[in-house]
Amino acid sequence: MTALSESLRRFFASRKAAFGAAVVAAFAVMAIVGPFVVGDPTAFVAVPHLPPSWSHLLGTTGQGQDVLAQTVAGARVTLLVGFTVGVFVTLVGAFIGITAGYLGGRADAVLSVLVNVFLVIPGLPLAIVLAAYLPPGPGSIVIVLSFAGWAWSARVFRAQALVLRNREFIQAAIVSGEGALRVVFVELLPNMASLVASAFITTTVYAIGAEVGLEFLGLGDPGSVTWGTNLYWASNDSALLTGAWWTFVPTGVCVALVGFALTMLSYAIDEVTNPRLAAGRDADLPVPVERTATPSGAIDADVSPLPEVPRELLPPDATPPPELMTPMPPPAGALLSVQGLTVRYRGREHPALDGVSLAIHPGEIFGLAGESGSGKSTFGDAVLRLLPDWARVTGEIRFGGRDVLALPPEELRAYRFREVSVVMQSALDALNPVATVAEQIIDVVLAHQPLTTSAARERAGALLHMVGLEASRLDAYPHTLSGGARQRVALAIALALDPRLVILDEATTALDVVTQRELLDRLAELRATLGLSVLFITHDLPLLLARCDRVGVLYRGRLVDVAPAAHLSRVARHPYTRRLLSAFPSLGPAPQLGGERPAAVSGELGRPT
Amino acid sequence: MSYALRRFGFYLVSAWASITLNFAIPRLMPGDPTAALVARFKGQMSPEALRALRHAFGLVPGSTLTQYFTYLAHVARGDLGLSIAYFPAPVTDVIGTGFGWTLGLGGVALVISFTLGTLLGVVAAWRRNGRLDQWLPPALSFLGAFPYFWLAMLVLYLFGFTLHWFPLQHARDPDLEGASALSSALDVARHAVLPATAVVLATLGGWMLSMRGAMLAVLGTDAIKLATAKGLSPRRIMWAYAARNALLPSLTSFGMALGFVVGGSLLTEIVFSYPGLGYLLVQAVRNQDTPLMQGLFLMITLSVLAANFLVDLVSIWLDPRTRA
Repeated sequence: MTALSESLRRFFASRKAAFGAAVVAAFAVMAIVGPFVVGDPTAFVAVPHLPPSWSHLLGTTGQGQDVLAQTVAGARVTLLVGFTVGVFVTLVGAFIGITAGYLGGRADAVLSVLVNVFLVIPGLPLAIVLAAYLPPGPGSIVIVLSFAGWAWSARVFRAQALVLRNREFIQAAIVSGEGALRVVFVELLPNMASLVASAFITTTVYAIGAEVGLEFLGLGDPGSVTWGTNLYWASNDSALLTGAWWTFVPTGVCVALVGFALTMLSYAIDEVTNPRLAAGRDADLPVPVERTATPSGAIDADVSPLPEVPRELLPPDATPPPELMTPMPPPAGALLSVQGLTVRYRGREHPALDGVSLAIHPGEIFGLAGESGSGKSTFGDAVLRLLPDWARVTGEIRFGGRDVLALPPEELRAYRFREVSVVMQSALDALNPVATVAEQIIDVVLAHQPLTTSAARERAGALLHMVGLEASRLDAYPHTLSGGARQRVALAIALALDPRLVILDEATTALDVVTQRELLDRLAELRATLGLSVLFITHDLPLLLARCDRVGVLYRGRLVDVAPAAHLSRVARHPYTRRLLSAFPSLGPAPQLGGERPAAVSGELGRPT
Repeated sequence: MSYALRRFGFYLVSAWASITLNFAIPRLMPGDPTAALVARFKGQMSPEALRALRHAFGLVPGSTLTQYFTYLAHVARGDLGLSIAYFPAPVTDVIGTGFGWTLGLGGVALVISFTLGTLLGVVAAWRRNGRLDQWLPPALSFLGAFPYFWLAMLVLYLFGFTLHWFPLQHARDPDLEGASALSSALDVARHAVLPATAVVLATLGGWMLSMRGAMLAVLGTDAIKLATAKGLSPRRIMWAYAARNALLPSLTSFGMALGFVVGGSLLTEIVFSYPGLGYLLVQAVRNQDTPLMQGLFLMITLSVLAANFLVDLVSIWLDPRTRA
């Protein structure tokens, strides 16, 4: 199924879309057919301000006209004006926004200022002033509202054009010499279909509301019958002071129904384009994405993603060796013991983790290797019970003998970070951007230990020193630190409570080689002094071989090999592992670039002393 | 600080643009309305009034450019001409009578609405698919689809006309002139309840949905994952991590919606004959009091710009990244 037809399928399956479309269609029919059915809305048919009765279902106005006839007939001009403004504003906004976003440079700078100025100038007062000068009527209202309202859609289109312009297919079209108009109409606009639709709907809602407002003020043509003039006359004929609620309630409900229905349509479109908004229902749940960091260092053999193993090299279902699949009794003395761990994300056919069993011993550095999507981050999250609600976890995780999956909320809270802590891949994303380094260390300390704030702050200073940062960084915000310093802060937070196990989830991947090495050296020292265990998760197998006591290889959710780091290359049995090992030139007699290359061969550096 | 300065520069440009727009609109309209207006009032107005009218538009002899600079000079001195309907009161004096009412009513209503909507958005996103999250967003969206002034009519009908809980119109009771400060304040508050309720009802859903969306985006980030991993209390994660970060994008959309909301709340003043800027604006339009109308548009626009700058300053104060 193509992306478009898949989107359309989801759109039509949405209840919001169904409700919105049905209501809008009903009003469209009413606007077209209704006036022929209800008779002349301006005829004086009865006594003024007659309450609803069988002869006049919605009563009469202060002039003695039929409210039902006026409400039905009012739909025609109101909706026509609303949709016309919607079309105009969308077109003008798309034209200006795409021009700005596509051309960039000075044209964009000038247009952006213009758009932003018109955005901050309040639209309705501007429309009122303009309408005061123009002859009253639908035409004037269309002009006035288009002039006052174009900026919002221009802004939205510009943002989208900027995003798309940098995509490869647009760049390719430009490089291949396609004309600007062709690029815009053939490449750009089709990719904005949902934006065009939602911009049109949103501006139509704005237009109907503003139109009704202007006409309510008497700036429309008081002789015509529209929803706005209905309200104008209701107010003029003192509906409120005589208690004639039926003269304004029906029209207001119609305005709201149309607006609400259109809004529902636009939500349905948003949910299709951005499935995360719709999450919570069964299908289409997002699965946590394992990211492969872009290398910041220059040596790509260190950080390049693992090669995909051609299927023909693998046994039919890539079954790991039998002894890795059968749950064993938990090894005595293990700190962390995982038995038959299986994680399924609802809506996904294949489990993210499939019967993984492994143990980590006190003081051990265990490396977990695997490509993107192999389930290695899911494993780390499972140990800390950080998986989302829609993940189904079976199997057993024992930490220090305790059943982690069965911990009640308070014990779980105490277990987290005091027993097991984590350093995530990008500290820029993981640290709270609006809190200082000190606050983020202090809050974890205070959440677990009965200390005073000043004692916790002292501890925070000591922790920074431990990871090689000056105590002056305590009051810095994360964005002011370098990438390496941020990752050190993340490590300091992870060590704040003297945990027994630290999980490094691609924690050094985004760093350059020198910083990476410094950080890992520091961790190795701390491991020696504090006696902590480390679960080191990365796709970088040579790094694991250099730094770990034992290494496990995850492939498609299954643990396919586990061996002491020094022996893995000898004892690896799974074709994936063997292929992985041969994929790294640094494992052979290649020229040495990074600091840990010789170590990668000997497997000695970073071992316990 | 450079970010704050850049924003200030932008609002200066916007202010200049709206002054220029104000100068240009009467001149660009079909059939030169200014000249027509002057011609129409000739004979009905005293020569001073006519001179005041020309003065308000900068209709001095000379080219359009000369007129433009004359106009700019007038605005810079705070001279917006004389009102026709309230002749010979200067436009600025007339605006002065309404400004406080609008600022008080609209300001309080907006702050209440934004605060309440934001809190509801935090809770709804935190208890995703809970009862609050399932019922309130659609209900408030539906309320938000009504025109503000229509909700004003409805609350006026229900709580003013039918139940007699609150006064039907105006901002205070003229009979209370000379009463104690406390009873005057209570009287003003009683008059403000219904118009403020209308604005709150109409806008609450917007703020709630915007905060809910921002919260959901933040809840998916690694910062929340790490905060959970740290074993912090759910309350602290919800407020210090999720809500604190989600407030920033929500404030930005608050700033962007400000002009729209101010326009809507001006209309509610009409329903209650509340003597603020919106009421004055409509009176000026109906009386063809063009100097007052233009002056009001300028004043409303400049106030919205100032409010936007205030919102920017709050964002800067809340977000260390913009302070660098």
